[in-house]
Amino acid sequence: MKGAIFLGSFSLFLLSTPASAGEREQFETEVRPLLANNCWGCHRQSAMGGLRLDSLAAILKGGKSGPAIVPGKPEGSLLLQAVSYTHDRLRMPPQGKLAAPQIAALTDWVKRGAYWPSDDVPPAPAAKNGEYVITKEQRAFWAFQPVHKPEPPPAAGRFNATAIDRFIGARLAQEGLTPAPRADKRTLIRRATFDLTGLPPTPDEVDAFLADNRPGAFARVVDRLLASPQYGERQARYWLDVARYSDDRFNSTDEDPYPESYRYRNWVIRAFNEDMPYNEFVKAQIAGDQMPASDPLKYRPGLGFYALSPEMQDDRVEATSKAFLGLTVACAQCHDHKFDPIPTKDFYSLQGVFDSTKLDEYPLVDRAAVDAWQARKKKVDQQHEVVTRFYSAQRDQLAEILASQTARFMLAAKGLAPSAGLDAETLDRWKKYLAGRRKDHPFLKSWFELEDRKAPEAEFRQAAAGFQELVLAIRQERKEVDEKNKITLGLNPTRDQIASATLVSLDRDKFVLWRDMYERPNKDAAGFFQSTDGVYYYGKGKIERFLTGAWKEYLEAQQAELARMEKELPPKYPFLQVVADVDKPADGRIHIRGSANNLGDVAPRRFLAILSNGDRKPFTHGAGRLELAEAIADPRNPLTARVMVNRLWQHHFGRGIVASPSNYGQMGDRPTHPELLDYLAARFVETGWSVKAIQREILLSETYALSATDNPANDAKDPANHLLWRANRQRLDIESLRDSILFVSGALDSKQADKAPRFDDKNTQRTVYGYVSRRRLDGTLALFDFPNPNNTAETRNTTNVPLQRLYFMNSPFVDKQAEALAARFTGDAPSRIRAMYRTLFNRQPDAVELRAGQAFVERGSWRNYAQVLLGSNEFLFVD
Amino acid sequence: MNRRELLTKIGAGFGMVGLEALLRAEGGPPDPLAPKAPHFAPKAKRVIYLFLNGGPSQVDTFDPKPALDKYHGKPVPSGNLATERKTGNLMRSPFKFTKCGQSGVEVSEIFPKIGAMIDDICVIRSMYTDRPNHEPSLLLLNSGDKFPGRPSMGSWLTYGLGTMNRNLPGYIVLCPGLPVIGHQLWSSAFLPAVHQGTYLSLEERDPKKMIQNVRNPRLNADEQRRELDLLAALNHRHLAARAGDPQLEATIQSSEIAFRMQTEAPEAFDITTEPQVVRERYGDHDFGRGCLMARRLIERGVRMVQVYFGNFQPWDNHDDIELHRPLAAQADQPISALLQDLKASGLFKDTLVIIGGEFGRTPAVEVGGLVSVQNGRDHNNHGFSYLLAGAGVKGGMTYGATDEFGFKAVEKPVHVHDLHATVLHLLGFDHTRLTYQYSGRNFRLTDVAGAVVKDILA
Repeated sequence: MKGAIFLGSFSLFLLSTPASAGEREQFETEVRPLLANNCWGCHRQSAMGGLRLDSLAAILKGGKSGPAIVPGKPEGSLLLQAVSYTHDRLRMPPQGKLAAPQIAALTDWVKRGAYWPSDDVPPAPAAKNGEYVITKEQRAFWAFQPVHKPEPPPAAGRFNATAIDRFIGARLAQEGLTPAPRADKRTLIRRATFDLTGLPPTPDEVDAFLADNRPGAFARVVDRLLASPQYGERQARYWLDVARYSDDRFNSTDEDPYPESYRYRNWVIRAFNEDMPYNEFVKAQIAGDQMPASDPLKYRPGLGFYALSPEMQDDRVEATSKAFLGLTVACAQCHDHKFDPIPTKDFYSLQGVFDSTKLDEYPLVDRAAVDAWQARKKKVDQQHEVVTRFYSAQRDQLAEILASQTARFMLAAKGLAPSAGLDAETLDRWKKYLAGRRKDHPFLKSWFELEDRKAPEAEFRQAAAGFQELVLAIRQERKEVDEKNKITLGLNPTRDQIASATLVSLDRDKFVLWRDMYERPNKDAAGFFQSTDGVYYYGKGKIERFLTGAWKEYLEAQQAELARMEKELPPKYPFLQVVADVDKPADGRIHIRGSANNLGDVAPRRFLAILSNGDRKPFTHGAGRLELAEAIADPRNPLTARVMVNRLWQHHFGRGIVASPSNYGQMGDRPTHPELLDYLAARFVETGWSVKAIQREILLSETYALSATDNPANDAKDPANHLLWRANRQRLDIESLRDSILFVSGALDSKQADKAPRFDDKNTQRTVYGYVSRRRLDGTLALFDFPNPNNTAETRNTTNVPLQRLYFMNSPFVDKQAEALAARFTGDAPSRIRAMYRTLFNRQPDAVELRAGQAFVERGSWRNYAQVLLGSNEFLFVD
Repeated sequence: MNRRELLTKIGAGFGMVGLEALLRAEGGPPDPLAPKAPHFAPKAKRVIYLFLNGGPSQVDTFDPKPALDKYHGKPVPSGNLATERKTGNLMRSPFKFTKCGQSGVEVSEIFPKIGAMIDDICVIRSMYTDRPNHEPSLLLLNSGDKFPGRPSMGSWLTYGLGTMNRNLPGYIVLCPGLPVIGHQLWSSAFLPAVHQGTYLSLEERDPKKMIQNVRNPRLNADEQRRELDLLAALNHRHLAARAGDPQLEATIQSSEIAFRMQTEAPEAFDITTEPQVVRERYGDHDFGRGCLMARRLIERGVRMVQVYFGNFQPWDNHDDIELHRPLAAQADQPISALLQDLKASGLFKDTLVIIGGEFGRTPAVEVGGLVSVQNGRDHNNHGFSYLLAGAGVKGGMTYGATDEFGFKAVEKPVHVHDLHATVLHLLGFDHTRLTYQYSGRNFRLTDVAGAVVKDILA
């Protein structure tokens, strides 16, 4: 489920290979890994025995003993004789025979014609002492070249104003595309205001701009917007998409909110508002605890990038490489990256850094306050434990006692024994249990037979005694099973360890009986459930009546104490959710084929080979996070600046110069304007990694100011507008949409939220502050394409479905805001309509619109009219 | 009356509908949901896809393996295939298989009603996918790719065929709660967004509440119509100044669909209008109601309806394969009722019904994983069964086979791409030609693979 957001990249690779998916799949999942792991050590670069096994041609050519295989003929294939150890001389691999399924896979592959992808990447990586070596061709890939600052080409006319325009303009001229006219001022201020703040401009702001005929009028608008607090609220959200920010853990059954996630979110907002240099912004998120700063809270909250990771699966290498580097390093988790020069070892070098890192909290109060709270909390926990343990012990004891009366209960339930002295509720439970007469009951069938044939009492007595023994024996057996599994798994086993362990359990029939007798009601994901208490299960709230005298007094006293302590415990002190180095950071080992049970070489903690020059130094400072951060934020790193300026470009144009903003590898898109990308990356570093400086430069270009006007001739050549001959009309994302509705209705609460409020009717804060759930995304967010916070999101989709229209037509939210909007303006109908147009669309209505509006309100309400305007395309789309 | 005159009249309170009609007549982009003809005469016009999410076990349902009885408790002679968790020895099916119908196709006792209809059903016993994990396999079955980001099958269908009823979404997904992965499974990805599946939760019993915001609490239909007429008029003027930008046009269309959905949708989803006896035949549980709704929606011209069996992944019986029995009971009854109703109404002739999950289960018992009891099976992508019924499909036949124990498809294996190619074929498409250009490349549901399984075509 990781990675591969890039639509179709894989299929491009496949296009020249008309193979059935089965062949391809078999080759990639069975044959290639098998060859790579077992054969290529000797039969690739070193070609022992003259044989290489890394291309079909080489295999067919064979070595000293002749062709290795004959496609379609397993029996005539030397390779298969060698691996099945049936050849009189050759037995491969020499270190040990392959497993039977592997041999079968290889045989099947030969039998099916020995498919090999014809467009296979060059099998070049030369193994030097078993080390992966990056080839010249791989190093020559565009994304790995150092950033240079190119001279902008000369360009004609209005496209000569800025460097950006000269790159764009030259390309348009070259392709014979005519740039659209410049957008009018109203369109421009509206576009810039939405882009930079996520809100529409106010009528006054528009008027001021329209009236400002001095040079630099638009620059003044842009500067004002860049300096506004709403700027950070807008820009931060884009980064939160990349950071897969969420206010809860992914949990498939329960809500599991983070207590203090919003502190990371607010830190990101502040970082953008203060224009924190991007290299610092990057480093803070990886190693903010280790950066020198006079203010300990300057960088540290950035660690939320990892502290708020989805916890179902460790995605930290993936998140790091995609977010900061535009590389899919996680593809190298099980095998060397298929397309990019990233060996598996490099994955584990980075994974080692994160495996040496743990979740932690950084208190925002002094040590003494933390200790005091912790001490009190510990006491509450201990008290809770006292109560829980008491319940558990009593429950266990009681079950034992009751189970030892099983025969009497069964007979009493039949009326064959007196019920005196037996617990009435348990007897009742027994009656119900027996009355269920479950035909499939593994142990009571014979009992039901006795009933059916109205057997003599003695037989019932005998059966009941037998059943009692069984119930007690199964109880004992279950304890032993639990004990065994505990020993097998050890303390805190990982998911992988659990999945690959050989565990034991009660056999099914015994389990069913154990559950029916002793288990609490439960329901697991597989639907394996029991809806009522087991016959002998008395939990909290039920067991109390069995406890008398000293037991009762003791429990009541302990409960009262717990209640008092819980009530008196103040809320937890505020803290940051951060990460920290573990006590003993250590290198990890390669997991061969991704399996934790199959460990390979040690992978020293260090940076990626392809992004390092010469000898890589191992990380030595703690887990190595700061060294990793510095390697990423190094101005010589060819990717970091390119990736970020491209993200910024995408925000403004709807599409990046590289259309796959988190994949700069072979399978990613190539830049439409490579020199412009480099220019921006170089400028980014030159300006001290200033995001605002780059955005300012972009917004002040003629390219940014193009209108969205169509042009059929251009359309024929570049229908998707990749070369930017016009502006891309953009639908508001859900944040801008919801915020703008609140803004124009006058209801927007512009305070920064210090929590993550749910999206209920009362919530009028900006959308960036609302609760984001990995488990179940808010319905309105989901309706308007908010990205899934389980993955690093690089772009927003824009879908259009009728349910979105129903939101405008019928949702209580829109209705309420329409009412507020209608009430904002007074006066006669034309002036109210004008005020609304100015507020929503930043323009005057024309005569037709005015008349249509008047006609409407003659027979309808202003509230309805406001609702129409809020739902209109002019409000939803920005030209 | 020219446009100017018309606009003048509007000012005088003439009404909006005419304006809309006029502006429409002035030319706009073609309707992406207008009914379209496929490549050749189709056998099927619509699809019902009943998704048994979690992964039903083939050897306990539609792929009998007597060898499992013989080798029960013994290791798989050739070794276990790699699946998600560790598996142990072979485990027999607790269920008996019986020959059913005229055809004598063997079906497990837990599906007696489907068994009784087996002469109308084709059982593919040699399906396989690429991964033993839910997520990639769910995505594969739904969108032809292991990773998110490809259009779903239903999206391809409405893209290729349009819809037969503009008052309802063309592609509807019903599920109590959400399956694993969720909304990505019915995404239109890079296809125009009108082709995205419309998801409705079966947990909601009130048909008026099933669709988010489907009812206006304040306005009556006339008031709302007036609003929409004004909206359409404003949007069309806005559009006319913007050279027919298709995304603007699409929201205009969506508004009209949304308006009609308000009345038509609750009616379509209101199964209480069905006679009691019918409802009982489908069963009063989520999947039963889903199947009944699917029938009603198909009758109303919805192109594809997908019904997920349950929230999360009910068929994922790692613990205890016996749980297939109650699950099957809930699936068997509504599926057979649906097939019967389709036959009775004649829709069976041109409706394709697909039944299956994201993969099968191992014939060997699962021993890894902290399960309550080791009587279950792990995920198995190497071989499993799928059922097809209705338009253009031969009934009463089996196709392909797994190995002796039911672990791996060995005879005439059918990859997901092959299944998709076959479905598209039945709907009148050459799967290699139903393409969409995106990002400079032609994409299709079957990627670069897929072969029509000809032997099962009627």
